Amino acid sequence: MRKKVLLMGASGSGKTSMRSLIFSNNPASLTARLGATIDVEQNHVRFLGDLILNLWDCGGQDAFMDSYLTTQRSTIFQQVGVMIYVFDVETREMNKDLEYYRDCLDGLRQFSPSASVFLLVHKMDLIREPRQPSFEKKRKELQDASGEGTVSVFGTSIYDESLYKAWSNIVHTLIPNASILSKHLTTFAVACNATEVILFERTTFLVVATSSTLPDIPSTASSLGSDTTDGEDARGLDPTRYERTSELIKAFKYACSRVREEFHSLEMELYDFTAILAEMTRNTYVMVIVHDPTIETAALKLNVRMARRKFEELQGDSVAL
Amino acid sequence: LNGHRSSSGDVARTKILLLGLRRAGKTSVQQVLFNNLPPKQTFYLETTIRIVKHAVDTVIPLEIWDCPGNVTVETLGIPLSQISTIIFVIDIRDLYNQPISKLVEFIVAADQENPNIGLEVFVHKAEKLQDDDKIESFRQIQERVSDRLLDISPDYEQIQLNFHLTSVYDHSLHEAFSRVLHKLVPTLPYLEELLNVFCANSQSPKAFLFDIRSRLYIATDASPVDSATHNLCCDYLLMLNSFGPLYKSIGPGRQRQVSPLTPPPSASSSTLRSSPSLSSSGKTSPPTTPTASTRDTASRKHGKELFYPSAATSLHPATPGTTLTYHLITPYLALLALLPTNVYEGRRGLLEYNVVFFREGVQEVCETEREARGGG
Ligand SMILES: Nc1nc2c(ncn2[C@@H]2O[C@H](COP(=O)(O)OP(=O)(O)OP(=O)(O)O)[C@@H](O)[C@H]2O)c(=O)[nH]1
Ligand SMILES: Nc1nc2c(ncn2[C@@H]2O[C@H](COP(=O)(O)OP(=O)(O)O)[C@@H](O)[C@H]2O)c(=O)[nH]1
Ligand SMILES: [Mg+2]
Repeated sequence: MRKKVLLMGASGSGKTSMRSLIFSNNPASLTARLGATIDVEQNHVRFLGDLILNLWDCGGQDAFMDSYLTTQRSTIFQQVGVMIYVFDVETREMNKDLEYYRDCLDGLRQFSPSASVFLLVHKMDLIREPRQPSFEKKRKELQDASGEGTVSVFGTSIYDESLYKAWSNIVHTLIPNASILSKHLTTFAVACNATEVILFERTTFLVVATSSTLPDIPSTASSLGSDTTDGEDARGLDPTRYERTSELIKAFKYACSRVREEFHSLEMELYDFTAILAEMTRNTYVMVIVHDPTIETAALKLNVRMARRKFEELQGDSVAL
Repeated sequence: LNGHRSSSGDVARTKILLLGLRRAGKTSVQQVLFNNLPPKQTFYLETTIRIVKHAVDTVIPLEIWDCPGNVTVETLGIPLSQISTIIFVIDIRDLYNQPISKLVEFIVAADQENPNIGLEVFVHKAEKLQDDDKIESFRQIQERVSDRLLDISPDYEQIQLNFHLTSVYDHSLHEAFSRVLHKLVPTLPYLEELLNVFCANSQSPKAFLFDIRSRLYIATDASPVDSATHNLCCDYLLMLNSFGPLYKSIGPGRQRQVSPLTPPPSASSSTLRSSPSLSSSGKTSPPTTPTASTRDTASRKHGKELFYPSAATSLHPATPGTTLTYHLITPYLALLALLPTNVYEGRRGLLEYNVVFFREGVQEVCETEREARGGG
């Protein structure tokens, strides 16, 4: 199954940068070398089982935008699963950005009325603390510009975990039966006596499903990570732990690749918890977090090995529809 | 034998001066190493106008003096004889006379007052230049310093001056500072020997004893250090330090019964942390209930009852593969070792035994060091 993902936004807003972080495991520092994208760069990313993300990174210079909206209109906007529109938080041409954005919404309505729309207020790292008020203002502005349709707005930056939060939410909408995966993860968590089990996609380390709570499906459509309480459970675990974990592992994977090694697995017995991170299926990794000090990592690893087949099957089902 | 010490205020601290023109990067060096300031955040640091002394507790107690750019030998407040090492920070793009005159001034004074002082030059912000320019500027700065010294007296040919290329944006700063630190640890030969023994007995090609919070390595075995391995260990430690607080439950959960004392919060001020997301990723190991202290001789003797965090990551799924292990050794120090994966998986008992032996050795060395300083 293919899902078309449109990446839109003004030139320099950071589309190619985020794509290179999430899908190519490049560090943020290398993005400064990226040139402007010419026309559309298409990428196919095998994501989960049979789910293939078809990424359309659309160069944002005016000439290209004008052509997307006119001559290329049907090519660009048909069969879209998700449109991600990126706004540079420091843009000095917000009105122009909004105008293009509205035109793109029209295109979507015409050719892919069921597509979901995600708006990223990007380069949040450039805003001095406190960031929340500036973000809220932007969010309001974007919501007003979006009319009736529901849109999800995230504040993001390639320099922290916020990017993983946004993208985990985005891909989550593309996995039809994520809730089934989640149910089985919960069963698995109980079997392991685990506080929590998290399933990550293998190359991006985006969160596919979790045992306790799903990555929040953005109903309130606002999220910045810093003061949201979603994902926090009775044990008071850090609400940003999923995206922070993605970020930490991605950074370590990059560190490994620099010494021509490949990250394979991790186990930790720390003061407060025991955890393992291991391959689950061909394209997922699982993280098992246990707070019961009597449980050993060896037992957890064994459980993962035994659950592999089941999840391999489930994963096939979850995207086959 | 010795009682608890809650405050280490009267311990003899090894003093390190951070000197250099203003905006050379002294405060950044200090904050990135010892306060976990994310490198990008150094942009917001304000000019230092007074000497700020930072107490740092690691294998030896340190006092890092962050000095304003205009400080002189006279305004320093104490004689150079009380200083162990001077680190002079020069911006790599600053090839002019001013920083070099200042450096030479201190070298001359130090040579008179304290010929044993360590003289280190951090040629800083090195990541700003391309490789060729970087090497050329590095060479020019060294040449100018030595020319100026020789103009003053031919005797300065003998002087021991160490130059390092550094940047807060990569691991070069950690590596350079580690090398500075090694010269200050009197017990270094013992620690190195313990590491050699550990490596030989565990088939480890490389092992480091790291200071957990600063990610400086205190000692390593005799095999040469290659930067790639060093960097990987630094990154591994950074990841583990960040995981600790992330899944720490604040609800009613079961705790490990006994754990060694965690280090007290850093003595340096932390008011500079302004971004919650960025700064939290720099947080160090989780605080925990200090139920037992390794400083306490009695509890150290029962070391096996204490819980010491550990971790392992396997690289390369293919055989033989490498596993990178982490074992807490003292509240401040951790052993990081590369092991063949088959040794890690097949001979865990032996490995654990070697770690316990190593830990006891290091704890003893640290104890001796503490007693020698009259601190323990
Ligand atoms: N400060 C900051 N800079 C960013 C961030 N993301 C990207 N950038 C920088 O923004 C610049 C432009 O990024 P690109 O990814 O090439 O922009 P683009 O949207 O693909 O531009 P076009 O291809 O022309 O449409 C690069 O120099 C990036 O380093 C961010 O989160 N924070
Ligand atoms: N590019 C680069 N900039 C640095 C580095 N270290 C520090 N800086 C910058 O240099 C400026 C001055 O740093 P600061 O530590 O305040 O200098 P001080 O006056 O010597 O204490 C700040 O803007 C830092 O962000 C580095 O390694 N690379
Ligand atoms: Mg681009």
